Order: sequence, then structure tokens, then C-alpha cells
Amino acid sequence: MSAGTVTTARASEATAAPPRHKVDLTNIALTVWGVLVYVFLFLPIVMIVAFSFNKGRALLAWEGFGFDWYKGLPHNDVILGTISTSLKAAVGAAVIATVLGSLAGIALARRPGKWTILFMALVFLVLVTPEIVDAISLLIWYVRIKGPFAPVPGGGTDLLHPVNYGLLRLWVGHALFATAVVTLIVRARLAGLDESLEEAAADLYASPWRTFRQITLPLMLPAVLAGALLSFSLSLDNTIISTFVHGAGATPWPVYVFSAVRSILRPEIAAASTLLLLLTLVALGLVALVLKRSGDSAEDVARTMAGAG
Amino acid sequence: MAGTATAGDVTRPRRRVRAPRWSLAIPAWVLLVSFFVIPVLWIVWYSFGEKPNLFQTISTEHLSFGRYAESLDATGPFRRVFVGTLQISILGTLFCLLIGFPFAYWLAVRVQQRWRGLLLALVIVPFWTNFLVRTIGWRILLGPQGPLSTLMQNMGLRESPLAILDTRSAVQLGVVYNYLPLMILPLFVALDRLDPALREASKDLGAGRWRTFRQVTLPLAMPGVIAGTLLVFIPLTGDYITAQVLGGAKGNMAGRMVADQFLVAQNWARGSAMAMLLILMILLTLGIGALIGLGICALVRRARRVDLSDVETVPA
Repeated sequence: MSAGTVTTARASEATAAPPRHKVDLTNIALTVWGVLVYVFLFLPIVMIVAFSFNKGRALLAWEGFGFDWYKGLPHNDVILGTISTSLKAAVGAAVIATVLGSLAGIALARRPGKWTILFMALVFLVLVTPEIVDAISLLIWYVRIKGPFAPVPGGGTDLLHPVNYGLLRLWVGHALFATAVVTLIVRARLAGLDESLEEAAADLYASPWRTFRQITLPLMLPAVLAGALLSFSLSLDNTIISTFVHGAGATPWPVYVFSAVRSILRPEIAAASTLLLLLTLVALGLVALVLKRSGDSAEDVARTMAGAG
Repeated sequence: MAGTATAGDVTRPRRRVRAPRWSLAIPAWVLLVSFFVIPVLWIVWYSFGEKPNLFQTISTEHLSFGRYAESLDATGPFRRVFVGTLQISILGTLFCLLIGFPFAYWLAVRVQQRWRGLLLALVIVPFWTNFLVRTIGWRILLGPQGPLSTLMQNMGLRESPLAILDTRSAVQLGVVYNYLPLMILPLFVALDRLDPALREASKDLGAGRWRTFRQVTLPLAMPGVIAGTLLVFIPLTGDYITAQVLGGAKGNMAGRMVADQFLVAQNWARGSAMAMLLILMILLTLGIGALIGLGICALVRRARRVDLSDVETVPA
């Protein structure tokens, strides 16, 4: 009985900070620091949300409260168009990166060999190359190889151009970094899991496909989901590569916002961003719910969504 | 007998299908080689070329180091901007580490577990708002007519409007803000993996809290520190967007100069050379940083070395 109590006490101590009755200055200082960091992180977002209700014509000069810019949004084809391009680019890039990265991650974790070092070096190189270098090299490369990466002379689509060339350029450009990230996340997850489960499935006469579907996939799912979410958000945020490679008729949202910074900022950008933030929070909430349903703890859920394994 | 035959039949095809499983990495290889390796090698080659005339962007007929020399020329703007970029990125990385470490430590060690998930999620939420839009948020806050300026003037802390926008300080603040979560997350992961029993053991062995932190927690958190430093320093050095939004004319970064060679001057050779110099600068700085780090580690280890030659019985 007493031994059991001790173990429980140890266990709770291991998970939570030990309760201290005397005033702990370090704890107070750290908590204050934590709160300050949250204020720092959220301050500009609060500003954007607040100033989206600015009635004035310039974002930075407050002229009164109103919903004017929200009412104008449904009729603003430029903003709607750029946001829709960004979403299409993000979905495409996330699909490419998640599929390729997951496959590479499985191969790295389960079939390591001499090629692993070379491949990991390549992944590392992709991760440490500044985005501006990717951007200029992709621009030159797209111009050189043409094909589906160049516009159709008359516009529209044909056999060589199943999708808009600008969108294809964004998909490939955004997928590069994201593929490397997904590869690492999936590899880390699978490396931490014993292969014996998969071997047991094989011993029980499961086909490789069935082993994958019923054993490997469920085990690596949190990592795959984290990778997909990260790829999606990385693509939505991408400004530098997009500035260089985007084509006519496929201007993504950050490129539009960046050009507005250099000319004039209207509150419509803040209004659109506030709505996007709401949408993202709902989407993230749904993902968290799905993860929680599948049995993860709140901390696991947050970890998965942070890509922190 | 029949049973063995069946088992053999099942095993053999399975091996045949499973053997080339490394080939699962082929699609990623193809993507990364054809859209990363080859294009970047192309840039390396272009960096030795030249801009032949007003209408052409690149010629590689006469290869030379000319573009590198031009960029590094002491009288040119690139060198000055280069040094400024390096200052911003080194300071920015240090600030991120100084702000992020106590925060990550608090989140991973001190916060009660039932709050940890929620608080971790709160770190990620800003991540999900476009970073450009968040940077514009700082423009609103710090503007001469912005809330902070008005507040400070009303409280009598300042007589004139705030004039931090379009200065280097604003750029420094902006980059620290934008890259802080990239520092916090790996630090959190490293500190969170740390078994609390290790800290308890240190305490039981008579170490004070500061000593436990210095000799147990900090060394074991080093992988997180290294990952965070890489994750922050590299993209920060290449970033020119934050600087342009908050620094205006003063926010000129090396990445912007590379971009302008392609988007404005149409001098691909010089732009490529500048990009190569940017990569070299990053690698060099990381190399020097690693050497300094290793040096400090060696010194600390020497100072702390425990001489076991006098000890007669070494406890197992």
C-alpha cells in the first residue's frame, strides 16, 4: 500500500511540477516571462484584428469603427482570387510533400543503407539553403525547361499544360522544402517505433500492402498529419519563392499583400486576414478533435500540430 | 510437407516485393534532384558568367570570378549590406535564444501538465497567421500615430510621436518576433524529453537548483539549442521581407540585393554570385559558431574534470 502511494507520488511528480508551499521566486519569474512572451506573440495579431474594423481608407490611420471593409470583401475579386490561388497552391504542395516525404521517410527508417547518408545530406541541404537561393534557381530553371512550366502561347490549357503553369510552379516550388520536412518527421516517428509489429504482421501472412495499411500507416499517421499541416502552412506563408516564380493569373495572397505594403495598405487586408485566421482556427480545431477521437492526449494533439513529433 | 511448401511460397514473393523498399524514396529523390540540385548547380555555374549587354541577362562565354570581386568590392553597397545582415541575424538568433529558452523551460518543466497542451497550442496559433500580415501588425502598433505611440504620449512618457518604424531597431524586433516560435519548439521538445528523474537524482546528490540546471538540464538541452539556432539563423539571414516591411529604406538585407539583381537589374550573373556569397557567409558563421561552442564545451569539461585515479573503489 505504502509502496504504491510512493510510486503514485513519484509519478505525479514526474508529470507536474512538485507543489511547493513556500513562495518560489524562480517559478513566479518564469511564469511572468511566459505571460510576457504570449503577449509579445499575440500583440500584432490583436492589432490586425482590431484595425480590420477601421473605417478609414488607410489601414494604419484609425478613423472610426465600422464593418465597411468586411462588407466589401465578397465583391473584391482581386483578394478572393489571390486567396483562392494560395489555397490551391497550399493543397497541391501539401499533397506532393506529404506523399513523397512519407514514402521517403518509410524507406529511410525501414530500409537504411549506404544511400541513407546521401539522401539525408540532400534533405539537410534543402533545409539549410536560404529561400532566396531556391527562388532564383527555380526561376532560371522554369524559364529554361519550359514545357508545363511555361505559359501556353494562346492561354488556357492543353495536353502539355493540364494545370495553370503558375500554379504548377508554386506546387513544385513550395513542395521542395516541405518534402524535406515531412521526410524528417515521418522518419523520426518510424525510427522510434519497433519494426517487430510489422514483422509480426508479415509472419501472420499479411501482404506487404496490408501490413502497410493496417500496421505502418496507423502508427505513422500523427507524423503524416503533422507533416501535411506544416507543409500547408509553409506554403500559405511562402512569399519569397512565390514572388519569383508565380505566373500571370496565379498571384498568391502573400505576394499581393507584399505589393500592397509597398504601395498602399487598406484595411481590407486586415479584414481578409481576420476571416482567414478564424477559418484556420476552426480547421485546426477540427484536426485536434479528430486526433483526440483517435486517442491522443491534449498534449499529444498540440505536439502533432506543432510538428514536434 | 505440404505445409512447408505453402510457407515457402508465401515467403518468397513477400521478399521479392519487400526488397526494393528503399525505392519508396525514389519520387522524393527525383523531385529534389530535378528541382533543387540541378537548378542550384546552374546558379553556381551562372555566378561565373557575366551580363553581356543591356538586353541579355546572362552569358557564360567567359567564365571568371569577376562577379564575386564586384560584389565584395569595398566601395560597393553589397559589402555594407552584407555586414548589416550578419549583425541583424546573429543578434536576432541570440535574442530568440535568450527569450525562448526560459520560456521553453517554463513550458516543458514548470507548467502543470494539464495546461501544457493548451499553452503549446497557443504558441503555434500565431504561426498560422500569415507572417507578412503579422509583420504588418507591428507596423500598426509601432506607427507614429499607432496605439503604442498614442498611449505613451497620453501617459506623458513621450512628447513626440514614436519614431521606431523604418529603423534598424524595428527590423531587429521584427525578425526576433517572426523567428521566435522556430526557436521555442525545438527547445521545448528537447527539454520535454528530459527525464525528471535526472533532475531529482542531481538534487538527491546534493546539487542546488542552479547547479542542477547548469550541469544537468542545460547540457541535455543542447540538441534543442543547436536545432533552434539552425532553424532561426539560416532563414533569418536569407529573409528580406520582414526587413522591408518594418525597415523601409533602412531595411536593406543581403537577400533583397540578390532579389533585385534578378527582378530589377536583370543581372543574373551578379545575382548568382551574391547568392553564393550569402550561402558561404551562412556556412562560415555557423562553422565559427560551432568552433566557439566546441571550445567552450572543452573548457567547461576540463574545469569540471573529476580525477578518478586517486579513488580506490569506483562505484559501479
